[in-house]
Amino acid sequence: MSDTLSAISTMIIEGNFVDIMDKTNAALEEGLGAEELLNNGLMPGMDHVGVEFKAGNMFVPEVLRSAKAMQESMDILRPILADTGIETAGKIVLGTVKGDLHDIGKNLVGMMCEGAGFEIIDLGKDIEPEAFVEAVKQHKPNILGMSALLTTTMRTMDRTIKALEEAGVRDTVKIMIGGAPVTQDFANQIGADGYAANAASASDIARQFTG
Amino acid sequence: MRTNYRTNSGVRFRMLSDDQLQELFDGVLHVLEYIGLEVKHEHAREVLKKAGAWVDGDRVRLPSHMVKDALAKAPRSFTVFARDGNPEHDIHIGPGRAHFGPGPTCVNFIDVETMERRPYQLSDVPYVAKVVDSLPNIDFCESLGSVDNVPYDLSALYEFAEMFRHTTKPIVAWSFDYYDSNAIHRIAVEEAGGQDAFEKRPTYIHYCEPLSPLISTTDSLNKLVFAAEHRIPLVFTPCPLAGGTAPVTPAGIIIQAAAESWMGLTIAQNIQPGNPFIMGGVLSVMDMSAMILSYGAPELSLMMAGITELAHFAGLPLWQTGGCTDSKTFDEQAITEGSMSVFFSALTGGDLCHDVGYTESAMTGSVFQLTAMDEAIGYARRITRGIEVNEDTLAVDAIHRVGPNGHYLKDEHTLRYYKSEYWLPNLIDRTSYEDWVINGENSFKDRTKARVHKILANYEQVPLKPETETLIDEVLAEAEEWVKQQEA
Repeated sequence: MSDTLSAISTMIIEGNFVDIMDKTNAALEEGLGAEELLNNGLMPGMDHVGVEFKAGNMFVPEVLRSAKAMQESMDILRPILADTGIETAGKIVLGTVKGDLHDIGKNLVGMMCEGAGFEIIDLGKDIEPEAFVEAVKQHKPNILGMSALLTTTMRTMDRTIKALEEAGVRDTVKIMIGGAPVTQDFANQIGADGYAANAASASDIARQFTG
Repeated sequence: MRTNYRTNSGVRFRMLSDDQLQELFDGVLHVLEYIGLEVKHEHAREVLKKAGAWVDGDRVRLPSHMVKDALAKAPRSFTVFARDGNPEHDIHIGPGRAHFGPGPTCVNFIDVETMERRPYQLSDVPYVAKVVDSLPNIDFCESLGSVDNVPYDLSALYEFAEMFRHTTKPIVAWSFDYYDSNAIHRIAVEEAGGQDAFEKRPTYIHYCEPLSPLISTTDSLNKLVFAAEHRIPLVFTPCPLAGGTAPVTPAGIIIQAAAESWMGLTIAQNIQPGNPFIMGGVLSVMDMSAMILSYGAPELSLMMAGITELAHFAGLPLWQTGGCTDSKTFDEQAITEGSMSVFFSALTGGDLCHDVGYTESAMTGSVFQLTAMDEAIGYARRITRGIEVNEDTLAVDAIHRVGPNGHYLKDEHTLRYYKSEYWLPNLIDRTSYEDWVINGENSFKDRTKARVHKILANYEQVPLKPETETLIDEVLAEAEEWVKQQEA
């Protein structure tokens, strides 16, 4: 049994997102529980990846392949975990704000957070405040993440937070923001709950919010 | 008498072979013909369709004859003029001429007095413009920041007015969209003495940025269409990240960036045949640990050299990049990265090299970095100017005169040449240890800071025409009103 768990950890570390679904299904058939697979297979793998990334031994392309493997396996495990009432990392709604088509940073955040076990609902780019409000109502995420690259579009984050307040759902989510011109001061100013300077710290903050 | 004598005074540098350049060129045409771009601008799509492009929704593909036609129409050489008619401040763009200037839109600025990092303010623009105006190796002006303390939509407009007031060197003006592009142009046209006069002697270049991968955004095309319609020279420069928003290989990022820029070229040349066009973009790697676009990486210089050679192969000037750094402070890293890229850019003859003075991966502008790089550019330019070989420089007569065991210090040949053959440093110290101690043991940083302060203290403004000043006041007042209406 521990061979299976260690094989799954290895698949995460190697970023083997092709075979991990079969391996996950096989492990469930072997009788391993979804929670055990998550806590003793997937998470140790991702933790290792996190340590190696911070140490400068692994790089973004490898980390994202590991995160993709994590997400593929989690897609199988998540419904089972939900049925058995076990809490997962949580759900994040993400989007690049209205007027901004730059989304590489937001995509990185999404993939890094998937690697941390979160379910990601990516609304895409050029997202209106109203669309964020709708998504919060519909998906009931733990966290809403907004991104902007341009100083002009940054202020749309402020409008989005106001729209959430008006809709009465502001307090149902933690809001984190990021993007090149965004600062902690700006986050404080518009009343966001968190600011991340890069995708790796975004996933750390997301974990703090839900941990 | 010499016949058929070939002169190669400058340093010759070339990286790519003709075959490689042809492969890159064909690669760009392939991307445009078979993949195409999303062109998020209805008018631009109509212009392209009428000229023979294949349009399917937002997606536009260009038959290669259209691209070649646009390349043939765009000039390789043209001039951007000083607003006050000072010929020393004109920029003659053409083969073998490398020019340098700062970059736009950093969020932060290194305070001129305290040298601390803080948000960029309107009062910083004159500092940058004055330093640009005074430095001998800085040829055009950008502001090194986007102004934080005016209404957002007007920051480019306020910035332009302040640059225009405080330097006569040509300006590269960015803007958000149609409204501020038009307002900026009104100011330049007023000073020139009308649209016709401006077209004869354009004083600024319009800067637009498409999005990678392969999107011509609405705002970038609003600006491009405006520039083409008013015959304003324009830069159309994407900013792809190798491994992120573009292929990781230099050849791959070069052809994608060229395709992004040439879509703009094709639109502009169909609106205004012969409109001066400067090809982009800024090519560098996404650092796979720090997740930033590196402004100090060797790959930046390498990729920029490659795209410069492709631009010249295709008959276009290029928007080069150099003099920038990922360092957070004025240190050895900043000077190493900045100096290396400046030298490499000068070697390529890339036509307008921008981002001189960028620090912290383009997050923070610094006139100290800019001033230090002026020194590096002077150094680089002395090398790229090369060695002139003729009868007089061979100095056989002087060697006859001096002969064995003499010296050249007092010889007329030395007197005639030493000032033009030597580059005279402004910041680099070559004094003896004792003199260095007597002079206060100043570091390069100390001397750079002193030079900035001296420039600012001695700066003399060449004023705009009174009617231009009046118009600036009107334009800004109207713009403030417009912003209020937009918000209402």
